[in-house]
Amino acid sequence: MSGKYILIVDDDPDLVETVSMMLESKGFEVGKAYDGIEGEEAIKKRRPDVLILDVMMPRKNGYELCKELKSNKWTQEIPVILLTAVGEAVPTTSYSHADGMSVEAEDFIPKPVDAATLVEAVQRLL
Amino acid sequence: MESSSPLEDNRLGPSVCAPLAQQRLNLTFFTHVAGDREVLCTASHNGEAALTLLQSQADPAASLALQPGTSILAVYPHDKRPEVIGTFIRSLARARVVIHGLASSPSAITAVLSSSRIKPAVEQLFEHFTFPGYASPQEFFSAQAPPKEYLEKVVATYQEKVTKVYWIIPQSDLDLWGIHIATADILAGFAAALMEMGELGLAIPFLVALPGLGGQEFILSFSTARRQPGGADQGKEIRRVLKSHLPDLQPMRLTPVAGIFLHGPHFGDRYGIAHTLVTALAQAHISLLALSCTISTISLIIRQHELAAAQVILGNTFAAPVECAPAAARG
Repeated sequence: MSGKYILIVDDDPDLVETVSMMLESKGFEVGKAYDGIEGEEAIKKRRPDVLILDVMMPRKNGYELCKELKSNKWTQEIPVILLTAVGEAVPTTSYSHADGMSVEAEDFIPKPVDAATLVEAVQRLL
Repeated sequence: MESSSPLEDNRLGPSVCAPLAQQRLNLTFFTHVAGDREVLCTASHNGEAALTLLQSQADPAASLALQPGTSILAVYPHDKRPEVIGTFIRSLARARVVIHGLASSPSAITAVLSSSRIKPAVEQLFEHFTFPGYASPQEFFSAQAPPKEYLEKVVATYQEKVTKVYWIIPQSDLDLWGIHIATADILAGFAAALMEMGELGLAIPFLVALPGLGGQEFILSFSTARRQPGGADQGKEIRRVLKSHLPDLQPMRLTPVAGIFLHGPHFGDRYGIAHTLVTALAQAHISLLALSCTISTISLIIRQHELAAAQVILGNTFAAPVECAPAAARG
C-alpha cells in the first residue's frame, strides 16, 4: 500500500496514534488531525486517498465536515469512513448509522474498532 | 493526591485501586513507580472522599497528601520524541509552575499543575510550540468549553461488565531508567538531557515523574527504545547524556523491560479500569515496575520475560482484540 495516504481525524489523540501505528505497519502513509477544522486544513494541504473521521469532535464535528466534503465537487470523491460509537450509544443524537452509511460516508465502523475490520475497510475503498 | 509508601507491588491493588473503584471514583490521572509512590487525580468534588478512603486502607508507614485545585495540561502529539517531552518540561520550568505529576501516553505528555498556574504554563508553551488549532493562548482559553451532556451519556453506556479496550499493544526491548532528584530545579537539566537524546534519534515511549510530598524531590522513571528492533545497546550513550546534564545523579537502569499500552474508549472518564488491570497482573504474579494512566491509555512497564504471560492475562481480562501491531516495536 505504499504511496496511499490515509488521514485520521479524531479528538482522542491516543486513538489517532494507535490507528496510525497500525496503518503504518500495513505500509500506508498516515496523516493526523485532532478536530474537524484541523482535518479540513489537512485535506486542503494534501488530498487523502481515504479519510477516517470521528463524529464527535470539538470545533467542527465529523458529520459537519463529511457533509461539507460531500457537497464540494473537489472533495466529494474522497472516500470517508465514519468512526464512532455515537449511533449505538446515544439514541437521542442526531447522528445515526443510516446517515453515516447511506447519505454521508462510504463506510461506517462503530467503536471499539476492530483493527482488521478497519484495515479491510480502508483497502476496500482504495 | 500524592501517596508515598513502601508498598509491595501486590499492595497497590487492595490499598489504592480497590477502594477507589468500589466507590466508583474515577482516576483522571494515575502514576505509580513500584515500591515507591503514586500520584493520582480525581474530580475535585471527590478529593476528600478519596483521601479518606485511601487513609483507611493505607499502610501505617504510608504518607498521603491531598492537593486541591489542580488541572491536567497535555501536549500532543509527542511521537515518542524526547525533544518534545523535554521542551514541555522546560516550558513548565520557565513558567515556574510546581509540577504535581507528569506522565506520558502513546500520543501525549501530560502534567498536573495548580489550576491557578495554568495560564502562565500555557503562555510558555506557546513560546516553544505552535498549535494548529490555536493562534494564541487567548484563542486557546476561549475555545475551552465544559464537557457536553452527550459525552456523559456515552461514557455511562461504557460501564460494561467486561471492559472493552481498542487495542493492547506490546513493545519489547526497552530499557527502564530511574532517577531520584532532590529538587524540582533539576527538572530543567533533565529537560536538556531529553533534548540531547532527541538529537541522537532516541525514542521515549514511556515517562512518569512523581514528586515527593514536599513537592521538591522527584522520582523520574522513563523507558527508552532501541533505534532498531534488536539493535545496538544504547545504555552507555544514555548514561553519558544523563551524566552530562545531571552530573550528581546516579541513574539506575533495568533491562530488558517491555511496555504494554492499553487504549480504550474514554479510559480517562471511567472508574475501575486500573483496578481491574492491577488485580489481574497481581493474581498472575507479574510485577508492575511502573504505570501511567493518562489521556485514554494505561501504559505499564514490566520485565520482558513476563510479557507473554501479561498479554495472555490482559487478553483474558479485557474485551479486546489481542492485537500485536508490528509497528509497536519501533521507537
